[in-house]
Amino acid sequence: MQKTIKLTIDNKVVKATEGENLLQVAKNNNIAIPNLCYHKKFSPTGACRLCIVKIKDQNGLIASCGVTAKEGMIVTAFDEELEEARKYLLDYLLSEHDETYDATYTDEFRELIFRYGLDKKENRYFPSIVKELAYPKDETSPILSYDAAKCIKCFRCIKACDEVQGKNVLSFTNRGIHSYIIGGFDKWGESECDGCGECIQLCPTGAIVEKPHREEIQLNGDIKKVRTTCPYCGVGCQLELFVQNGKILRSNGVDDVSPNYGRLCVKGRFGYDYVQHHERLTTPLIKKNGKFVEASWDEALDLIAQKFTEIREKYGKKALAGYASAKTTNEDNYLFMKFIRLVFGNNNVDYCTRLCHASTVTAMLRALGDGAGSNSIEDYEHSDYILVTGNNMIDTHPVTATFVKYAVQRKGAKIVIIDPKWTPLVKDAYIWLQPKLGTDVALLNGMIREIISNDLIDRSFIEKRVDGGMEAFEALKELTEKYTPEYTEKITGVPARLFTEAARIYATAKRPLIATGMGFSQQVTGTHNVFALINMMLITGQIGRVGAGLNPPRGQNNVQGVSDVGASPFTYPGYISVEDANNRRKVAEIWGVPFEELDGEKGLSTVEIMQAAYDGQVKGMYIMGENPMITDPNLNHTEESIKKLEFLVVQDIFHTETTPFADVILPATAFAESEGTYVNSDRRVLRVRKAVDPPGQARQDWEIVAEIARRMGKPLGNYKHESDIWNEIAKTAPIFGGISYDRLDHQGIQWPCPTPDHPGTATLFTEKFNTPNGLGKLHPVDHVEQSEKADIEYPFILNTGRILYQYHSSTMSRRNKSLTDFANEAYLLMHPDDVDRCGFKEGQMVRITSKRGEIATVVRRSSEVLKGELFMPFHYPEAPVNKLTRDELDPYSKIAPFKISAVRVEAL
Amino acid sequence: MIQETLKTFKPEQQNLLQILHALQDQHPQNYLTEQALEETARYLKLTKSSVFGVARYYSMFSTTPRGRYIIRICASPVCELLKVNTVIAHLEQILAIKTGETSSDGLFTLELSECLGQCQEAPSMMINDKVYNNLDANRIKTIINEYKQKNHD
Amino acid sequence: MIKETRIILKNIGKINPESIDDYISAGGYKGLEKALGLKPVEVIDELLEAGLRGRGGAGFSTGMKQKFTSESCLKCPQRYVVVNADEGEPGTFKDRVIMEQDPHLYLEGTIIAAWAIQATKGYIYIRAEYYESIRKTQKAIEAAYKKGFLGTNILGSGFDFDIEIKLGAGSYLCGEELTMLESLEGKRGNPRIKPPFPAEKGVFGMPTLVNNVETLANAPLIIANGKEWYRSLGTERSPGTKIFTISGQVNKPGYFEVHMGVTLRQLIELAGGMKNGKPFKAGLLGGAAGTFVGASMLDERMTYDNLKEKGATLGSGAVIIMAEGDSVYDILHNCLRFFRHESCGKCVPCRVGTTQLVSEADKLRNGHPDKKSLLVRMVKQSEIMAATSLCPLGQSPVLPLESAGRYFEQELITI
Repeated sequence: MQKTIKLTIDNKVVKATEGENLLQVAKNNNIAIPNLCYHKKFSPTGACRLCIVKIKDQNGLIASCGVTAKEGMIVTAFDEELEEARKYLLDYLLSEHDETYDATYTDEFRELIFRYGLDKKENRYFPSIVKELAYPKDETSPILSYDAAKCIKCFRCIKACDEVQGKNVLSFTNRGIHSYIIGGFDKWGESECDGCGECIQLCPTGAIVEKPHREEIQLNGDIKKVRTTCPYCGVGCQLELFVQNGKILRSNGVDDVSPNYGRLCVKGRFGYDYVQHHERLTTPLIKKNGKFVEASWDEALDLIAQKFTEIREKYGKKALAGYASAKTTNEDNYLFMKFIRLVFGNNNVDYCTRLCHASTVTAMLRALGDGAGSNSIEDYEHSDYILVTGNNMIDTHPVTATFVKYAVQRKGAKIVIIDPKWTPLVKDAYIWLQPKLGTDVALLNGMIREIISNDLIDRSFIEKRVDGGMEAFEALKELTEKYTPEYTEKITGVPARLFTEAARIYATAKRPLIATGMGFSQQVTGTHNVFALINMMLITGQIGRVGAGLNPPRGQNNVQGVSDVGASPFTYPGYISVEDANNRRKVAEIWGVPFEELDGEKGLSTVEIMQAAYDGQVKGMYIMGENPMITDPNLNHTEESIKKLEFLVVQDIFHTETTPFADVILPATAFAESEGTYVNSDRRVLRVRKAVDPPGQARQDWEIVAEIARRMGKPLGNYKHESDIWNEIAKTAPIFGGISYDRLDHQGIQWPCPTPDHPGTATLFTEKFNTPNGLGKLHPVDHVEQSEKADIEYPFILNTGRILYQYHSSTMSRRNKSLTDFANEAYLLMHPDDVDRCGFKEGQMVRITSKRGEIATVVRRSSEVLKGELFMPFHYPEAPVNKLTRDELDPYSKIAPFKISAVRVEAL
Repeated sequence: MIQETLKTFKPEQQNLLQILHALQDQHPQNYLTEQALEETARYLKLTKSSVFGVARYYSMFSTTPRGRYIIRICASPVCELLKVNTVIAHLEQILAIKTGETSSDGLFTLELSECLGQCQEAPSMMINDKVYNNLDANRIKTIINEYKQKNHD
Repeated sequence: MIKETRIILKNIGKINPESIDDYISAGGYKGLEKALGLKPVEVIDELLEAGLRGRGGAGFSTGMKQKFTSESCLKCPQRYVVVNADEGEPGTFKDRVIMEQDPHLYLEGTIIAAWAIQATKGYIYIRAEYYESIRKTQKAIEAAYKKGFLGTNILGSGFDFDIEIKLGAGSYLCGEELTMLESLEGKRGNPRIKPPFPAEKGVFGMPTLVNNVETLANAPLIIANGKEWYRSLGTERSPGTKIFTISGQVNKPGYFEVHMGVTLRQLIELAGGMKNGKPFKAGLLGGAAGTFVGASMLDERMTYDNLKEKGATLGSGAVIIMAEGDSVYDILHNCLRFFRHESCGKCVPCRVGTTQLVSEADKLRNGHPDKKSLLVRMVKQSEIMAATSLCPLGQSPVLPLESAGRYFEQELITI
């Protein structure tokens, strides 16, 4: 606990926390010492000098931003001399400044100019020299403009980029009066800038301003600011949307609240334009004679109710299934799940989690009792060792990555990366382990053996917290015995000295966090990979503390929440098995339906549903906000399956690759038109708020679902508002028991939160695991050879993944010019040696063929991949890489192996 | 060539100034090319602007082509007191350029320098690594001719 | 006429600076040998009690600086010695003389300082224009390694110390100690906020001792000959000698090592008197970041404290002499242009102030209705710059400007 101290500023006694800087103390106490370069998010700079004060018994004027407040300090913040000096400084700044103002940005400098009366020319002394200085403008970036004549050289952008985002893309060029900010070699557009816009948000003068909607926004006009949650990845960044004339014109990060504390990435800041895109679906569409024609809601909903009813009657209730959506709210998904279980009368509800982290969740549920991340996102900042396995977080969870980079760059933490492909985080890594695709279990077993043979296990943790104690450990020891450094190196291709060191420092670290990702989970051995990881964690006792644990960052905004609220073929809200009759009884009571109506048999999972459709067992489907025609594996097969359906409803915000196969398309609302909640990767329930009206007749998903249910004669309940649904969720899922809708208004709450006075849980498993006996469980697993291997016919192994600027099937991300300006083209990464060996040229079109299909794209030389391995982003419909992937499933979690496909590549 | 030079240094940021000196010196036009800066950034795992910003900060580095010989005339108070301005005027005349420019034959770039620390024999200048003191019109003519001659041979 | 007292410069002209054997036969590395026989704290005490003050310009007690550095952050894994050989103050070349003509002397002093603060790694930051100094120092380092004065287990003491040269690239500001550390780390020469001082958080965030070449050159002599011997030189509060570099309108410009406390008149005599017998007009003491003095100051004792009291500075020991007929305005203008050119641009008062001061100085020449008020205003402006600037550069223009105004107001407002 930090000490509270007292000091005096201008005869006022103020309290401060020991170690705080004097300027911040003044700010906290509403003493408005002028300042421009200081910001509490980063280290003091001392450039503007406006925050000068006098301190008793110290000489001269002292910049308060660089002073640590001390007990008993006597400070003068305002007197004639200080104010005169400040006026001089502002006058100086004005003389090198272009003071025109167009009300498209907030201007802290301008506010000070008015405060000191310098808006009146007669109060100024120094003549303007801004013309002679002839400062340049940099318009080369797709998302921002930099105007050096408006720049006061306060370093805030540089520090925003370096200390907040960990990117350090910006610097100064020249020196003295001729210095100004640069990206790259004085061309922002050719720099490493990835467009997060942190610099824009922190620029005090409008020297750096965003380009999108610059012509439309007028801050001195009527602006509505709406706080909500970002619709992209699972970090759950809190956004403030600026709405003017019914349109979203800007997005800023919300300061001071978790999980992002004001930080955003390029998608969060610039990715909102899809909401107001002209291709949005605005009215229900019914396929008539092979063509979609506009229909009224009544017509569409009646048709759906009629068709689903017919199918149920004709083929039985198991012939219907639904895909829920990781993009829509908990409330939408909860009602969708309720719809499937009550109206369809089965448990055939699943969503894309099966395609990303199902294996992680499965392994974690079995071994630890909870399938979610054990720590808070901001914990990364306090870790001393971060193991990143198959997780390209700089691209996929950019804001989480800022905390990781902070730990490394500012606090000396060590990152160890396990990834067959280079990722940008490798630049910050202490060790990069580059195993051959599909050899993770062997690598981890080799690390476990190294830990055991160096006696770095945590005996007391094993004895107290692990099921079976040392006996269970012995079984693991025996199994891993053969993974000697030499043997492991032979399987994985990773030099023994690297993985053995990585293992030793993991075992001895004080606060090690593991960030696992889809490189790890999307394999046939996905569940085993995570078991091996958990084994290593349990025998070293590296979980259950702040800063120690296992965290799978979730890929989509609400992928966590949809599982939490029970849109799963296996579990009800709160991860209670569908087979648990007591729970079904409890839920039936809450829902006011007979217990017998709730099916106690597990339903079909995502890929199984498609398989069942192929086999003719599933005849009707309701897809809410998913696009399986891009995201499912083995797409040619998916297409055949989906064509066999008798009736398909797709509810979405755009036409997708899936909508052509629908019989009815229903227009839904986008995030900024919706109310409700999401749950992010660190189990935080976050509010989603409506900022703008939906286009045309679009409706929020849950309303549509409820309406279909009503028309099928099975009303889901009497909901007036999203809060009614949330409060029902809290009743059915004990993990949310204490979270009322009202509690979420200011800041998210992390589950489990069992009671209304519970603060939420930042760190899981501090006392016990959530397994039936409270103990963690070891699952010794052996390395198995991949069933799909490179051979003469298919000599390459293809890996797939994501990039920063696109998201999922790119339905949303591609409808933002800011994002497509950065990246809008599919490609295949191939090692330069392979490119040469195959006789390809950079950028040449090639055909990639697997046993399941073929696609065409351009080839790029890249040392990011190993020889013999390839990489392709999965977002682009014109090169749908999932035509090549397999639908062979991990037997435990039913996840598909998107990461490993044998292919050949030929010139086109 | 750039890579060979880079490899003589440990890939640490603290070697950046030394590296830039070495790369600039090895270029016949005494400057840092974009390629040199880019490869340096990659070698030191720095962003481009961190390298460019440094190259643009220090007055001895140039990011634009210069002559084979950099004439750096001391512009300190002592040299000014001892009439360096007439020396500069002579140089500008002989080389037919203004301060800051490069002679048409690509041999000389004329620059002003902060105090060269040769004040006991001011006015002074350096041509690349070599110091010349007690300058006057005659001496300058001789020195410049020597360089022209040397280059001719 | 006074005589030079050469202790630091005693070898100059007598030994081959490129021969370590010459240096050793002249008694070199005896101080190091003796220091290694003392405890580090005893070395610091010796320097502290000898009263050695930093010769870079600020005149801070060297022993105190070493004491702070040796006592700060005891759990830090590394501490450093950095030699400030970025001699850039106009009119100053004393460090160059030492580096070119007796490089082992300051190298020995550096190793002693490293022992005193228990640093195992050192850097010598030399401005790149000092090509000859770099070459000689490099050679001296190589020779010292061969003889076992550097490297592991120095002279069998168990003490390890490595040193390497780092180059500047044309920035006066990098002579400022915190800026030098930034530059040494491969960054732009922007000053850091003080505190923390280098003693607490220096290069790479570790405790660092930054000492000037001349300062370090004193250390072997003090250790070898004892503090009493050292205190017998100079004055009570400024013991030892000082190397002055005299340039401008004198017959024999050059470097002179004298007791602390000589007068300006004595220095001019030492430098062969005024050139061509012209009358003395002004001196610029301490370089551009120094002060102008008029004839009334000719007989003041040149010590840190006395000059400070009289509104002048000793600074780096640069003495630039001007004669009747020379323009104080031109030299002042030169200084102001210099500051504009060397300002890094980080803080507002220095970045804009140095630029605006040059424009104002132009107005003094190019006609202004009220030059007297303009000059007053310029001094005021430079005072505010001094009060508000982040580092010594922005604090400097007031020195030549105010002092020129004090002694030569008439010239400045009638030019």
